[in-house]
Amino acid sequence: MFATRSALLSSSRLLSKKTVIPAFQIANKHTLVLVRHGESTWNLENKFTGWYDCPLSPKGIEEVTEAGKLVKAAGIAPDVAFTSLLKRAIRTCFEVLDQCGRVWIPVTKAWELNERHYGNLQGLDKQETVDKYGKDQVLIWRRSYDIPPPAVDKTSEHHPSNDPRYAGHDFPEEFTESLATTLDRVVPYFEENIVPELKKDQTVMVAAHGNSLRALVKHLDNIDEATILELNIPTGVPLVYELDENMKIIPNPKGMAPLRGEYLGDQDAIRARIEGVKNQTK
Amino acid sequence: MFLLKYLLTSFAVANAFMSTPSQKTLTPSRTFGSQIEQRISQVRKHATRASTSLAMKYTLVLVRHGESTWNKANLFTGWADVPLSEKGVEEATAGGKLLAEEGFTFDVAYTSTLKRAIKTLWIILEEMDLMYIPIVNTWRLNERHYGALQGLNKQETVDKYGKEQVLIWRRSYDIPPPELEKDNEHYPGKDPRYADVAEEDLPLAESLKLTEDRFMVDWEKTLVPEIKSGKKILIAAHGNTLRALVKHLDGISEDDITGLNIPTGIPLVYELDEDLQPIPHSDAIAPLSGRYLGNQEEVKARIGAVVAQTK
Repeated sequence: MFATRSALLSSSRLLSKKTVIPAFQIANKHTLVLVRHGESTWNLENKFTGWYDCPLSPKGIEEVTEAGKLVKAAGIAPDVAFTSLLKRAIRTCFEVLDQCGRVWIPVTKAWELNERHYGNLQGLDKQETVDKYGKDQVLIWRRSYDIPPPAVDKTSEHHPSNDPRYAGHDFPEEFTESLATTLDRVVPYFEENIVPELKKDQTVMVAAHGNSLRALVKHLDNIDEATILELNIPTGVPLVYELDENMKIIPNPKGMAPLRGEYLGDQDAIRARIEGVKNQTK
Repeated sequence: MFLLKYLLTSFAVANAFMSTPSQKTLTPSRTFGSQIEQRISQVRKHATRASTSLAMKYTLVLVRHGESTWNKANLFTGWADVPLSEKGVEEATAGGKLLAEEGFTFDVAYTSTLKRAIKTLWIILEEMDLMYIPIVNTWRLNERHYGALQGLNKQETVDKYGKEQVLIWRRSYDIPPPELEKDNEHYPGKDPRYADVAEEDLPLAESLKLTEDRFMVDWEKTLVPEIKSGKKILIAAHGNTLRALVKHLDGISEDDITGLNIPTGIPLVYELDEDLQPIPHSDAIAPLSGRYLGNQEEVKARIGAVVAQTK
């Protein structure tokens, strides 16, 4: 049912740009597709990644190719895409667009959609860090809403001022992020750049990271701080939101609470993956 | 001549200081006609410099996409959106490696709306570790539209129309192939990617001249200001749009350009002076003043190989 409506919308859009659209045909519905990038090489090595620019692992590439097939099967045709400045998300974006046959659409890359920066924990092995700082402290840094890990200064390779891709923005001398500060840069970016596209009746895809997408869904679904910290968005599974003309989410009956968007694919398998990750963090 | 330049510069600088500050990027609403206009706009943008530096150089890199599946099957392609063949992917990867090895970097990349060029670009940027730069897709960089011949086998077309006629369509500067009908699957008006293109701009068939005309709009309006703003640009495009560009850069004649072949996947580097005139490179192969990267013997062989194909 969902797929048929989307297919109808896409095919009518094919004709609609140059013909008069009867009001009932375009149901004032705007589609937003979120995809978290697939497994990266540093995920495999169990290292804190943050803004470090590692690539997708081969499995990660398979995951996002699959994601692309799901988006295509759902009849969703992105008109414009947003992603971060990190190649694991950019590659995810490209693979999905390739599967949908939409490689020609404009893709905007923004640091504001980057993963949360992990301060001076970036590059450290997670187990080693626990050994060094103790389990509780590391848990605070990972799972606190607003306590960031220790900052990096400009002598560190992990400080954005040492990477030319961030040349257009002034970052503080001491830099690190919590989920709170991540949200502080994701949500304004979404409102200023992505919402206008949705309003123009463009189907938007956002290919990003665990924490930048957490920030986004927290905002979209009004999720509280405690819940968002526990929420895991599975990698490579497209998450589709429909918004009305006032940019309010139209809750999808298939939404897995607290999310009101729908995950595409085998619902049981997805549920198992979400539960599985939850068990990992115990 | 130098005195004239000097006088014009001083006049322009004085003018610039008296006028209101210019915007960050210059996007002229019409094509700039004269050299004087170009120079004045340039000085306004760089008003803090006392004089224009004659050593000012820009680097522009062009690359033709690798072999496509239809190249391989010997079909007329044009705007048909076919993918790279495996060999084409290898060519693009090799091109990217060459650029990475020679230490090139780019601020922005331009390409067409056709996946064989887009994928070539993605592969190159991945090799160069530059996936994060902005990419602009424009239909004006698309390959020449081959009209009603798109999808037809080249040999079959020769059998049908005769070798001479096909040669005229392929190698004439300004005679387009037969137009396609608007109900043909290859009519661009049916494709959502061209939804924002005015109907009168959508081709039914193109000659090299028409390709050049519609590409040059973008060159003047978008690419020239980008280059002059100091951005290092990579253009990943197609045989005929790149022909149009080098014809303009190097002042190549209409007769010579139709015979010129740009080998696929090999980066072609231009160093331009402040007026966007190419500074000839010692490795340049005439009539181009830009140089191809990589083993020069292989490059020459590849140029020869493409010529042999068209016989």
